[in-house]
Amino acid sequence: MTESAQLLDAFDARVERRNLRREFFKTAMGAAAAGVTAFSLASKAGAQSTITDTDILNFALNLEYLEAQFYAYAANGTGLAANQLTGTGTQGAVTGGQQVNFATGIADDAIVGQYAREIAADEAAHVAFLRTALGSAAVAQPAINISGDANGPFTAAALAAGVITSGTFNPYSSPTAFLLGAYIFEDVGVTAYKGASPLISNKTFLQAAAGILAVEAYHAAIVRTTLYARGYAATNPQSSLITAAGQISDARDSLDGATDLDQGIAQTSVSGQPVSNIVPLDSNGIAFSRSPGQVLNIVYLNKAAATLGGFFPAGVNGTLRASVAN
Amino acid sequence: MSEERFILDVIEEASAKRRSDRRRFMRMAAGAGAVGGLAMLGACGDDGDDVIVVPTPTPTTVPTGSVTDADVLNFALQLEYLEAQFYSYAAFGAGLSSSLLGGTGTQGAVAINASATDGAGQPRQVRFQDPIVAQYAREIAYDEIAHVNFLRTALGSAAVAQPAINLSGDASGAFTAAAVAAGVITSGSTFDPYASDENFLLGAFLFEDVGVTAYMGGVTLLTNKTFIEAAAGIHAAEAYHAGLVRTTLYRKGLSNAALITNAGKISDARDSLDGSTDLDQGIVATVNGQQVANIVPADSNAIAFVRTPGQVLNVVYLNKAAVTGGGFFPGGLNGTVRTSAASG
Repeated sequence: MTESAQLLDAFDARVERRNLRREFFKTAMGAAAAGVTAFSLASKAGAQSTITDTDILNFALNLEYLEAQFYAYAANGTGLAANQLTGTGTQGAVTGGQQVNFATGIADDAIVGQYAREIAADEAAHVAFLRTALGSAAVAQPAINISGDANGPFTAAALAAGVITSGTFNPYSSPTAFLLGAYIFEDVGVTAYKGASPLISNKTFLQAAAGILAVEAYHAAIVRTTLYARGYAATNPQSSLITAAGQISDARDSLDGATDLDQGIAQTSVSGQPVSNIVPLDSNGIAFSRSPGQVLNIVYLNKAAATLGGFFPAGVNGTLRASVAN
Repeated sequence: MSEERFILDVIEEASAKRRSDRRRFMRMAAGAGAVGGLAMLGACGDDGDDVIVVPTPTPTTVPTGSVTDADVLNFALQLEYLEAQFYSYAAFGAGLSSSLLGGTGTQGAVAINASATDGAGQPRQVRFQDPIVAQYAREIAYDEIAHVNFLRTALGSAAVAQPAINLSGDASGAFTAAAVAAGVITSGSTFDPYASDENFLLGAFLFEDVGVTAYMGGVTLLTNKTFIEAAAGIHAAEAYHAGLVRTTLYRKGLSNAALITNAGKISDARDSLDGSTDLDQGIVATVNGQQVANIVPADSNAIAFVRTPGQVLNVVYLNKAAVTGGGFFPGGLNGTVRTSAASG
């Protein structure tokens, strides 16, 4: 590889991965922006002038309730303890959620069960940590819908994404379905914490948020790596998983506005060599940011300005509760 | 399972136990105390830094203590040189473009012993057996090259040059020294990370979690909010990489137990270099007598670990004492942050 080609390839690798699936990706803008305006992505975050650290941590806590309940049910068949759910605002209950049968007799499925239990423990610890950090300011768990039935948000998300064209998407129905269900959440958590990072004033909280961000990225990598390895396995590759992950990514991206903030896991080709896409990054190798409003677009499953819907049928608690109009 | 029992299981057994079964020094009590002390949120209400100014390429050096943003970014840049060179050789058989290596300080090269027979032990392209691992290697290589370029662009004329780097897998290589210290191989043997898929993954494992802990530390040392967000974004990328490597090692470890054992040894070695605090974990744990995955290295609050720059240098210099070079950076780092911590 020649020297000048190398850097172009690095950019091309990222651009190519987006072009594969972004109908409105502006190649010229992306290439020009790569070096010079490397920092401009952050500017949108500065517009939200009245957000306190408490607001940010409570927003994060709402998301952690959702993730923790999903994984707790999937891994263990039971939700968070009642003493982990109280706080300010309106406390709500969990609708749906059930244990996934990971004991299929297939070794790869048993591993996914281990991953599920590890992630469940981590997310429960995040809830406990944020509640302790917030003390009496912590918001209660809002109403959460993680039902896998025909009227549940997973089915709505899967229909919107095109993963299914009719019927039901139940993330508890198999280890594979669980992986896709987890995939819906994990990258969103990473972008949420990254978007929040410049909004946090207190350095101790910033450090903690960075540490949770990293853990969410590890989780996302577990899910994406496992989906990728199954999708491109030498024997019996499940290419439908790659397609579905791409469709879910597209759906997330269509909810949060015109900016490209999401990527599937489909293999690309750079300089004639196949390259994986486990890590969703911009052309600088930097993870994406979502504002709180954009995150709510996804978990409310609504690209308009709304205060509830999808996984949070009564909305989230706290001051950051409205999705943005896209 | 009762609800109380469940939460106890989650927090104490799964989290604490999987950590404590291999840790000398648990900090459950200290961690819990620190959390309570954080609950002073009322004072944090007024965030005065509302407008994020897009900086000119050279960051302003507003000091946080004695470390400037440029110092922190230059420190990160040199870790990225190391990672990018490793993955670039492993994936493509060539190092970084010379146009990406210049800057302030003393420029060094990646050590290559040209007389090695068939390149044995030298930085070179791995002959991957598993095409998926090769695809991962290429993806990570492109990401790390992008990080080098991004940080160099951000720093502009303040960017440091690449220092001398030892990525050799021969008897005198830093990988061999690390592997001997970890007990992955015995003294007198060599560890060549380019020799096989498995060795490559272990070599990658050696670096990736360290990068995560380093950016954890860097995020709070930075002053400029735009840099904080960028650093958080690279931080996330490194955690994705680490998660990829750890997931793959664990999956392959089911039929090749040595991979899991050796990852644990490397983790222990990293931990022994950076002081008595527990800042590292292997990829397996035991809960209720059963082996479980431990893909995510995190404390009992499920928060990733932090290493100070000095502790990161302990690891990459392969020296727990306060020194200014060694291991993967035989001539030390360029820039102002270059001395490892006195960690034992």
